[in-house]
Amino acid sequence: MKNINLKIWIAAWALGAWSTLALEATAQEENYFRAIGTPHKPKVEIAWNRYYSSEGLWSWMKKIAQANPNLAKIESIGKSVEGRDILTLTITDFSAGMDTDKPAMWIDGNIHSNEVQGGEFSLYVAWYLTEMHADNAFVKQLLKDKTFYITPTINPDARNNFFKEPNTASSPRSGMLVLDNDGDGAAGEDRMDDLDGDGHITMMIRKSPTGRFIKDPLDSRRLVQVGPDQMGEYEMLGQEGVDNDGDGEVNEDGIGYYDPNRDWGWNWQPDYIQRGAMRYPFTLPENRAVMEFVMKHPNIAGGQSFHNSGGMILRGPGAEEDVNTYNREDIRIYDAIGKKGEEMIPGYRYLTVYKDLYSVFGGELDWFYGTRGIFTYSNELMVSYLYFNKDAGRGNQEEQLKVDDLLTFGDAFVNWHSFNHPQFGAVEIGGFKKTFGRAHPGFLLEQDAHRNAAFTIYHAYHTPKLTISEVKVEDLGGGLKEVTATVVNERMMPTHASQDLKYKIERPDYVTLTGAQVVAGFEVQDEDRKLYKEQVASPQKIAVENIPGMSAVKVRWIVSSIQNLKVEVDSAKGGKASWKK
Amino acid sequence: MRKHLFFGLLLATTFCGKAFAQSDYPTLSQTTQRIQKLSANPAVELKTLTKTAGGKEIYALEIGTGAKDQKPAIAVVGGVEGFHVLSVELALQFAEKLVGENAKALESTTFYVFPNLSPDAYAQYHAALKYERRGNAVAMDHDRDGTPGDNGYSDLNEDGQITWMRVADPMGEWTTSKEDPRVMVKADRSKGEAGKYLVFKESVDSDKDGKFAEDLTEGIAFNKSLSYKFPVFEPLAGDIAVSQLESRALLDYLFEQWNIFAFVTFSPANNLSNPLKYSASEARKRVVTSILEKDQVSQAMVADLYSKSNPAKAFQQTNQGTDGDFFQWAYFHFARFSFSTPGYWTPEFKGKTNAEANFLAWADSLKQEVFVPWTPVQHPDFPNQQVEVGGIKPFVMVNPPFEKVGEIAKQHTDFILKLAAMQPKLEFHHLKAEKLGNGLTRISVDLFNNSPLPTHSEMGTRSRWLKKLRIDLKVPVEQLVAGEAVQLLPALGAFEKASLSWIVKGKSTLELKAGAPHAGFVSQTLTF
Repeated sequence: MKNINLKIWIAAWALGAWSTLALEATAQEENYFRAIGTPHKPKVEIAWNRYYSSEGLWSWMKKIAQANPNLAKIESIGKSVEGRDILTLTITDFSAGMDTDKPAMWIDGNIHSNEVQGGEFSLYVAWYLTEMHADNAFVKQLLKDKTFYITPTINPDARNNFFKEPNTASSPRSGMLVLDNDGDGAAGEDRMDDLDGDGHITMMIRKSPTGRFIKDPLDSRRLVQVGPDQMGEYEMLGQEGVDNDGDGEVNEDGIGYYDPNRDWGWNWQPDYIQRGAMRYPFTLPENRAVMEFVMKHPNIAGGQSFHNSGGMILRGPGAEEDVNTYNREDIRIYDAIGKKGEEMIPGYRYLTVYKDLYSVFGGELDWFYGTRGIFTYSNELMVSYLYFNKDAGRGNQEEQLKVDDLLTFGDAFVNWHSFNHPQFGAVEIGGFKKTFGRAHPGFLLEQDAHRNAAFTIYHAYHTPKLTISEVKVEDLGGGLKEVTATVVNERMMPTHASQDLKYKIERPDYVTLTGAQVVAGFEVQDEDRKLYKEQVASPQKIAVENIPGMSAVKVRWIVSSIQNLKVEVDSAKGGKASWKK
Repeated sequence: MRKHLFFGLLLATTFCGKAFAQSDYPTLSQTTQRIQKLSANPAVELKTLTKTAGGKEIYALEIGTGAKDQKPAIAVVGGVEGFHVLSVELALQFAEKLVGENAKALESTTFYVFPNLSPDAYAQYHAALKYERRGNAVAMDHDRDGTPGDNGYSDLNEDGQITWMRVADPMGEWTTSKEDPRVMVKADRSKGEAGKYLVFKESVDSDKDGKFAEDLTEGIAFNKSLSYKFPVFEPLAGDIAVSQLESRALLDYLFEQWNIFAFVTFSPANNLSNPLKYSASEARKRVVTSILEKDQVSQAMVADLYSKSNPAKAFQQTNQGTDGDFFQWAYFHFARFSFSTPGYWTPEFKGKTNAEANFLAWADSLKQEVFVPWTPVQHPDFPNQQVEVGGIKPFVMVNPPFEKVGEIAKQHTDFILKLAAMQPKLEFHHLKAEKLGNGLTRISVDLFNNSPLPTHSEMGTRSRWLKKLRIDLKVPVEQLVAGEAVQLLPALGAFEKASLSWIVKGKSTLELKAGAPHAGFVSQTLTF
């Protein structure tokens, strides 16, 4: 043993420091073993118990693309307000066809800048798929059939602001444009002030003879209101900050305010109807980049947008006015996938935005479905259930204090400490840190990332998969033959959502016969009753309106001569398939 | 007097000379020359907002003096519909008459003139093949069959213009009008009347889908693609509101121009002859689709002003806006007072009720050649049926003969200047300094809006895109004992006042300033 170590040491000394590390790693590998469901010996080692800046996310994305040239490509799809790139990973098995020829899943995160973990969760999907590809038959086949377009942050400027500048758990939410929020003609003139310099905007309290609060004698972190017949000791002063513009209010004109998730072009409404809207749909360059990418990729059939928090799998409609946009056939599919998600992600509930959350116009998921017919969910990541396997509700302070006692040992809370405030005199500053409550604590990140990734993989799996299952040739006599092809969709989603069919959003699917002289062409409506719909113009290329999920369509040609029969199906959202004799 | 007369004559001669030289609506290069000529005037600043997909400039003329973005402004907009060539001429002539003859108006008002927002479509008026075009030059799949622009018009009778074609067919819905046999109308089947014709725009079914001229070789129509009631997925509208270079450039510009209080748009919609009606139930809904109650009053007042400048009696002026149009956007989404008029319409003539029959009767009386007689043609899609091409020529129903435009422009210039004279006008009254003893002084003042219009449309008080009225008292901070150095007022109504007061100590000179960019600013100093 001693000998071996000495040998290694000598070799390492000869080869230099890099080799030392490599050899140590190899030696250690013999002492760890594959856990089910997790990439073993990943090419790109990412720690899933911490958060990354935009540059941090991009650095991992680039490493994933470099390590997997046949599975991952990285590109910039546009620029942010401050000129950062919006980086997108395309994940698919490129050896099995171009990304654009396969049904695709769009995944993004962090549209609200403070809702950070969508960045890590999106990245996890890319990492998991590329790292599992070699070892897992399901993933291998999935990447042959499907494409994933993954954009971990579509709000990179303000993501960085959240981490690097003082914030609360709920700020900035907007991107980095600064508007005049208080209507006084000046923009952003009273921002938040990190008085104690800890990077977190917490709360201010002040001792006061007329205060209505005391510190709980059993837990001094907590302020409790005194009874109507009791005198208190403290008054609440609100958020940590000063009145910078002398109008008597604190922190009332900061970054924004606007909401990047009210900027999307389906049933868009202006700010006086929908607070947070900008000038017109896709005013924001970050959203515009996504919109343009999606419009150029008609193969996108599924969409996922990661938010926080509350443990929800949300579907549209966002606004009650859009109830009729979502029709029964599509809701059946939404429900099937969403309810499966409730099983896969304990504590998460499958809900509808307008009736279970709040009504909103101009949201991203409504645009994906309304304008493109893409089945889309927004997951609100992080839920109280993950702490103690009980649902204590969103932002339950009692529970959060208990978490910080028992699980994070004081790491989540800034204890009350004195500060001499320029306007309010002697105050105390304290409260929960910005990275607690809405964001997962480190020890919960990887598990929830995996479960949410599994849900998007299930969703992507059920984008259409077309095969030509059978081609029958029958002799009709008189030199004529009948060719009947059956095109099967082996997954749940149709090639055209009913919203898509209603507005003819995407072109029909084409089933084309070559290698024969076509005399007439039909879509078979009912084979047994011999109901056929003839297509007079270009009968060799039959336009099929839709290929429903877990179902099939048949097309039929009458041909006068056959050389090398070939049938091809070409669908924008359903991909391509072919059959050759 | 004599001098004036002589000068007037000279002007008239120059004008006549010009009118003589120009016998038809100008080409784009002619409008560009005039725009550039205008920009030589020191009160005019020319901006190019963008270039369209067709490579044509979108111009903005900023006309004003001094601190022009601090004065209330009117935006005058032409060319929101490409076929409405009159609108471009009206906007241009307004600008020319403003700087040439009415420069005094610039002392209190700024004007933003956008002569043409559909130059790609406008060009069709002068093209070899003339037709009423709305769309710009982007490729667009109007019938959503996967191939853009694969069924446009065809000039079947080779007369250089697109009219109509009628196909004799007993299953057709159309027949000839009783008011004028040249005019095609839908047969009244509820009264047992049979149709005789199919009627289409002059075209062939080039994409073989059984439909005619349903996928035009033109792109997005400016006046059908804005965000208010955006007709998503419809032909000429597209998938996303405000998707085009010109619409985004214009809106981006307008959102930076905080001083605009009203829009005058020359477009087919007319709320000046026929003001919008308030509907309590539609106004109460979350998505508001009725003019608000107080704005209805202001609008009616401006409409009254319009009828005084433009004596033409309204006839069939029922277009109060169409989905995705500009004039409604300016009110419902931009919250400014918004007025639209086509500028011109055919007067009622000989009691005809059908618009086309009325137009033909009127044009006949003036001996105008406005009709292409129905003439048989060979049509590839109807080999065994009689097909005739004919109908009213493009452009003539909405654009008067060019020699009439001078008078119309004069009337509309007059109207816009009267509207400017009505603009919100803030004044300080009764500024007082009362000594309270011990060095304290109470300062009080009334801020008054001396205008029949409110400082903010009612819609504007809801919008974050209009500034509130801001009142600043500039006095050393240590001297202000009571009252706010900065206060905001949501609005002042027509002839409404707000009473303000402060208590200051010591002696000093203070400055009071109040206003908002779209309502103008007023200031006064006082030594106490």
